[in-house]
Amino acid sequence: MRTVALHSSRCVECEDELRRLERLQNLVGETINAQIEELDLRQVWPGVQARLGTVRVSWWQRARIWWEERDPAWWIRVPAVGLAAAAAVLAFVVWSNGPGNVAQPVTPVAAVDNSATIDSLDSTANAVAVLNEPETNTTVLWVNDDTDYGTEGFPP
Amino acid sequence: MNLIWAPVLLLTSVTVGAVTPTPIVAGSAVDIRIGAVLASNTGQEFDPRLVALHHQLSALFPYTSYRLVKEEKERVRPGGKVGFDIPGGRYLLVIPKGLKNERVSLRVMLIEGTRPVVDTALTLRNHATFLVGGPRHKEGVLIISIGADVVPGPSDLAVPTSTQ
Repeated sequence: MRTVALHSSRCVECEDELRRLERLQNLVGETINAQIEELDLRQVWPGVQARLGTVRVSWWQRARIWWEERDPAWWIRVPAVGLAAAAAVLAFVVWSNGPGNVAQPVTPVAAVDNSATIDSLDSTANAVAVLNEPETNTTVLWVNDDTDYGTEGFPP
Repeated sequence: MNLIWAPVLLLTSVTVGAVTPTPIVAGSAVDIRIGAVLASNTGQEFDPRLVALHHQLSALFPYTSYRLVKEEKERVRPGGKVGFDIPGGRYLLVIPKGLKNERVSLRVMLIEGTRPVVDTALTLRNHATFLVGGPRHKEGVLIISIGADVVPGPSDLAVPTSTQ
């Protein structure tokens, strides 16, 4: 650029050519700027924003980002983590012993396999059905001696 | 033997003894558990004593109320008989026939008057429960639960316990 500028300052033809090019550049620039100014760009970002999904950052991630941005020295981190752990344990103890958490008796329900094999069956009842509950393999012998099966039907 | 191994061997033998399943041997006794449940559509009651049967009852039957009206447990040797008076004048007879491979062979008879309504032979897994349902009683139906728990080894025939 420097060489061109020096040459054009001493060569009349090239200086005229350079001025014409500069004028053309200015005209092109003015035309483009005028076109851009006519555009209404105010709705562009809201339109983009409306199509963006929201990213939910959990409190744990926020805490971690905050922690990483701070980048404290290790001698600050150790007691801080210890304090946080102690606070969590204390909160759990308080919560578990709180007045609203009366210990409920846990009812032991053993997962028993109730599978049974019927080797023989004689009945004088009007209707007999064998039912099975698949989860615990419980077998039910349903006997109906009435002709009226009631609203439940037979077997119920 | 070095004395240092004695506690180790003792601990090992205790641990092995604790985790090894007890085999069912001939001459064992069986605890027969029988319960009479009145199932109906009057009310929303679920008897807390039936918690062990809650899943089965709610999965199998459409009733809204389940109440344990009678319960008995009796220890018998194979060949012995356990009788159970069912509310409404019926009678249940359970006879353990034999014990083999963690299974109990039973004969179950549901008797009404002098007539056996049901006479069945079945093989039940140890600690399992079998249900007989259908007899009408009051505003609902009766569901009889029959369970068997093998008592291995020498056993005394205990006095029957019952709840009514």
